[in-house]
Amino acid sequence: MVSPIDMIKKKRAEAVSRIVSKGYLSTKRVYVGMATCEIAAGSKEVMAVFKDAMAKGLTDVYLSQKGCAGRCNLEPTVEVVEEGKIPVKYGKVTPERAREIVDRHLKKGEVIREWTI
Amino acid sequence: MSKTITITINHKEYQVEPNQTIMQAADKLGFHIPRLCYHPKLSIEGACRVCIVEVEGMRTYVASCAYPVSDGMKIHTNTQALRKARRDIIELILDNHPQDCHTCERDGNCELQRLAASMGIRARHFEGQRKRYEKDLSSDAVIRDPEKCILCGRCVRMCSEIQQVHNLTQAHRGFHTVVMPAYDMPMGESVCTTCGQCINVCPTAAFVEKNYTQELFEKLNDPDLVKVVQFAPSVRAAIGEAFGLEAGLNMEGPLVAALRKLGFDYVFDTQFSADLTIMEEASEFLERVQSGGTLPMITSCSSAWMKCLEQFYPDLIDNVSTCKSPMSMHGAITKTYFAQKKKLDPKKILSVAVMCCTAKKYEAARPELLVDGMRGVDLVVTTREAAWMIKSAGIDLVNIEPEEPDHPLGLSSGAGAIFGTTGGVMEAAIRTAYELYTGETLVDIEVASVRGLKGIKEGTLMMDGKEIRVAVAHGLGNAFGLLDLVRRDPEKYHFIEIMGCPGGCVGGGGQPYAQINAIPLDDEVLQKRAQALYDLDKAKTIRRSHDNPDIQKLYKEFLQSPLSPVSHKYLHTHYQAKRPVGIIPKKERKQSGAAQ
Amino acid sequence: MTRKTYKVTLCDGPTCIRNQSREIRQALEQALEKHSLSQRTEIHLSGCLGMCSKGPILIVNPGYVIYGQVTPEDMGEIVESHLAGGQPVARLIVKEDHLYNRFFRIFGDVDFFGKQMRITLRNCGIIDPENIDDYLSVRGYEALAKALTEMTPEQVISEVKKSGLRGRGGAGFPTGLKWDFTAKQPGDEKYVICNADEGDPGAFMDRSAIEGDPHTVLEGMIIGGYAVGARKGILYIRAEYPLAIQRLEIAIEAARSHGLLGERILGSDFSFDLEIRLGAGAFVCGEETALIHSIEGSRGMPRPRPPYPSVSGLFGKPTLINNVETWANIPVVVLDGGAWFSTIGTETSKGTKVFALAGKVQNTGLVEVPMGTTLREIVYDIGGGIPGGKKFKAVQTGGPSGGCLPEEYLDTQIDYESLAKAGSIMGSGGMIVIDEDTCMVNIAKFFIEFTQSESCGKCTPCREGTKRMLEILTRITQGQGKPGDIEKLERLGEMIQKASLCGLGQSAPNPILSTIKNFREEYEEHIHQKKCRAGECRALLKYTILDNCVGCGACKRACPVGAIDGTRKEKHVINQDLCIQCGQCFEVCKFNAVSKA
Repeated sequence: MVSPIDMIKKKRAEAVSRIVSKGYLSTKRVYVGMATCEIAAGSKEVMAVFKDAMAKGLTDVYLSQKGCAGRCNLEPTVEVVEEGKIPVKYGKVTPERAREIVDRHLKKGEVIREWTI
Repeated sequence: MSKTITITINHKEYQVEPNQTIMQAADKLGFHIPRLCYHPKLSIEGACRVCIVEVEGMRTYVASCAYPVSDGMKIHTNTQALRKARRDIIELILDNHPQDCHTCERDGNCELQRLAASMGIRARHFEGQRKRYEKDLSSDAVIRDPEKCILCGRCVRMCSEIQQVHNLTQAHRGFHTVVMPAYDMPMGESVCTTCGQCINVCPTAAFVEKNYTQELFEKLNDPDLVKVVQFAPSVRAAIGEAFGLEAGLNMEGPLVAALRKLGFDYVFDTQFSADLTIMEEASEFLERVQSGGTLPMITSCSSAWMKCLEQFYPDLIDNVSTCKSPMSMHGAITKTYFAQKKKLDPKKILSVAVMCCTAKKYEAARPELLVDGMRGVDLVVTTREAAWMIKSAGIDLVNIEPEEPDHPLGLSSGAGAIFGTTGGVMEAAIRTAYELYTGETLVDIEVASVRGLKGIKEGTLMMDGKEIRVAVAHGLGNAFGLLDLVRRDPEKYHFIEIMGCPGGCVGGGGQPYAQINAIPLDDEVLQKRAQALYDLDKAKTIRRSHDNPDIQKLYKEFLQSPLSPVSHKYLHTHYQAKRPVGIIPKKERKQSGAAQ
Repeated sequence: MTRKTYKVTLCDGPTCIRNQSREIRQALEQALEKHSLSQRTEIHLSGCLGMCSKGPILIVNPGYVIYGQVTPEDMGEIVESHLAGGQPVARLIVKEDHLYNRFFRIFGDVDFFGKQMRITLRNCGIIDPENIDDYLSVRGYEALAKALTEMTPEQVISEVKKSGLRGRGGAGFPTGLKWDFTAKQPGDEKYVICNADEGDPGAFMDRSAIEGDPHTVLEGMIIGGYAVGARKGILYIRAEYPLAIQRLEIAIEAARSHGLLGERILGSDFSFDLEIRLGAGAFVCGEETALIHSIEGSRGMPRPRPPYPSVSGLFGKPTLINNVETWANIPVVVLDGGAWFSTIGTETSKGTKVFALAGKVQNTGLVEVPMGTTLREIVYDIGGGIPGGKKFKAVQTGGPSGGCLPEEYLDTQIDYESLAKAGSIMGSGGMIVIDEDTCMVNIAKFFIEFTQSESCGKCTPCREGTKRMLEILTRITQGQGKPGDIEKLERLGEMIQKASLCGLGQSAPNPILSTIKNFREEYEEHIHQKKCRAGECRALLKYTILDNCVGCGACKRACPVGAIDGTRKEKHVINQDLCIQCGQCFEVCKFNAVSKA
């Protein structure tokens, strides 16, 4: 009989491969805060900008939502993670800022220092 | 015997039974802890916080009504700090209560008033805003005055736990909390069955009956009217308590005399029409048995139960006897037979009923019960109202010379007397039905199985080799339990008696308030009242309704025979489903859903 | 180009370098070469990951497997077993620092996160809460599997006891004991309830936890059900949290489809399911007996205890009820062990506590700190201090049930006993920083206004007493305070504390009593001198025009009641009898010639 612990390990392996198949291993991973507080601060619009950019051909980016990390006064937050580098967290992201993050950070690799937390 | 435990109350050690509350233990040891929301028949609310005590080692005070004793517990019931806290709690209640004791109906018989006095509240420290509400006068029977409500929740628990009508509930929060029917429905339009048990348990005057005493005094002084009064069996068994007498005294003679002194021209007895009811009801039952009519047949004397049936058990309407209640039969006979006999214009007769019941006020106003377009009973006053009128008129009920009721509507059998207690109608009906059916004399006429305060009682009776199964329920909660059995198994019983109030009419919503330091609806008091009626029965030579000579005369001169067309015209009625407001049956719900 | 299968991150911080991280890299590259995995593996070097005590650190992604204190010799095994074989090397995985596993992800924000320790919120802001795969990938439901595989219910309870975890709803009852009571009750029908009826003004710990990581709460509850022998769990959450509800629904559905809820969970004999019940947002429904009444369909009113829910709870059955944060700790306790959990925190209070930091502080937000952290660390180090150069006055913890602590208590450690001793409570996690511009009488009034309107109305002390306290406070803030008012407040407050039916009433006077204790002079100033030093109580303000008035007339025109007199180019005067303290003159004056005191 398969033990629960073995079952859960199998499930985890499957989960990981599903995440990978969604492009997790792209060079850059973008996380948009999508808790009630973040949404209230405008994160849905920010998310739409990233989705739109990907629909228009932005590649090698893995986009995901996340919960609230607790930085209430700086929401909406967007995090750009590149393996091996310190993750970049942007605060008070507006759709305009999001478009710039797409153009400058995601496409050109430039961290926009003045907006980071 | 369980092992006793040791507790300390106010520095003295006592051995007590485990598995009881601090209050229960203290009561037995002679410490009366002040209390307000507590009622032994209702669930523990723990709301008023008057019964708080100090338990050593506890961070806060505990409500003694709710907290169980444990071995080694050290309890203090009367420290200075506790006294101050209790005092402040009562003052807070007073601060949000109309300060109109002098003009209040419960003046002198108010638990809050007594409690405040015993706490020694002689100054007000925290006065502020007070709640303001309109009185709800919509009901024919029960008046709701939220301003006087102190939110002890006894009425809510009575209505939902004992009566299981669930009409009353707390609504809103905090300072704005108020007891009301669902959706703030006026009492008159709500599912209130008008049983009046909320009045019985209310410590203040937040619930009172609709008062007709002023109107009655006015009419008693109208020289154009012939004033006729009837009084219910259980009124005589309880009215003495309103005059400070012990419970269970039969005050029939003094009451008759007092009513005459009040100005009534004819003092009749509802026990007479109870006998009449038995004639009709027993005959109806036998007819159903013989002709295969709807069984079980259910009695219809209790008006709160009738409203309850129409609202919650419309599917059982065919099971209910078509007989009017004894009060309404009496009213009908008064306005017809009696009027004809005395050559009176029935419109000039003032027909009054003194009832143990608030629901009778509602019943008397039912349009189905009109007699030739007139109300059979024009005014209903409760035992409480009658007691007040007697006192107000300066009549000394206690020392008055007893008198007899008038003929022809005043003579009654013992069977009529026991109508006032649970099981009484059933017992009376058995006495007559048995003899009408078998033609034999029933030897053992006291039916022990239907007596007593058990919630649902059952009995069997052999009539000519046929087994008749009967059941009796008192209090609407018990009635629901019994009727649910009937719904599941319609064959289970042949005959059912239901009384809306706990204990039957002796525990009616219009009976005198509990005496000082007594508990409302105390079983002992109910039993004493019932015993007074059983003693009355026992003392009578005529103990069967069909043996009542005035009843026989009434049939001979007017009604012809039980269930005759005349009887049907004046003594029988009909019921119809009354859907509680806001409740849509499943079928119609689907249709209205589709329409949207 | 070959598709990469793994990304390996090596910490390249100074400590790790000292510990041979360069050599490790060489060994790793050689091992990859040996298994022909070089093309399919990316190696990154990262800056310090802040886990120096466990260094050198090596992280394998996907999966976030963190290896610690690795040596060059270990590389062969890691590559062979993990990268080639898919089986992580258990002995090298950083276990104890489970919570730190993903901590580097929020690195780069050292001021805010540096003093925090995230256990409850370990996945919040990191994983996608609507995707169970994300949760599974971070060892989600492994604690449940562990409990089902190798632990009896008694062992689970013993682990919870060992952890020293106490109820995070505020009262701090030992969680393990509560579980034990419930488990020991006879009967097959038992319930597990999650209290997510978060209602303190300004507090949103539970909402955030559910929105950020719903599965953790679910997993905790399933483990709880297994431990006490319940087959049914209910999540009671307020209807005002639609997103949290939606995420819970998604999570429950996903858990069901993965066999993590329902019949025979993960192939074991244990069956358990969850249901969501919505609360209508009554504050009192956070009280456990009121909450149970609400689930049963009755009016949400507390009842006297005993019996406690663990004996007679939902529908009269033994019921285990914990709040969101408590449940969220359970998977960690089970997975990492009670012994490890109990190393965090103080003698009496173990683990961490989440606070919703609000008020006059730079960084408002949600913080999770180990027990024992001082208030000062939270307000100044994490919160960044008071904005605008204002002076700190007090910190309020525990929401409407808590108290206000002044500066001298700033070094109080966060734990149940210390906060209580200081005159406040832990509460569910509200923390409001108050600066000199806030009137303490007014803040006490704010809280009592809340409890007063949220009182269920059942017991006399709370229903009537809080109303009277509010009336007295209102009077004081309006300049109609009378000598003796403070004593009345104290008298009422102490009675309400001791005589009320439930915790809401018993704690309702806390904000008042604690401000009287710590800021009595402000009350006295209001009452005797009709003065509000913070300038918040408008009715107590006195506006006067100073000598630098140029007589422009702006204030005269602005005054809605015509209380200002003066000829042009001369100093104007306010008629104090007419002034309604609206502040218009103060607002419009361009010369700072109106003073407010």
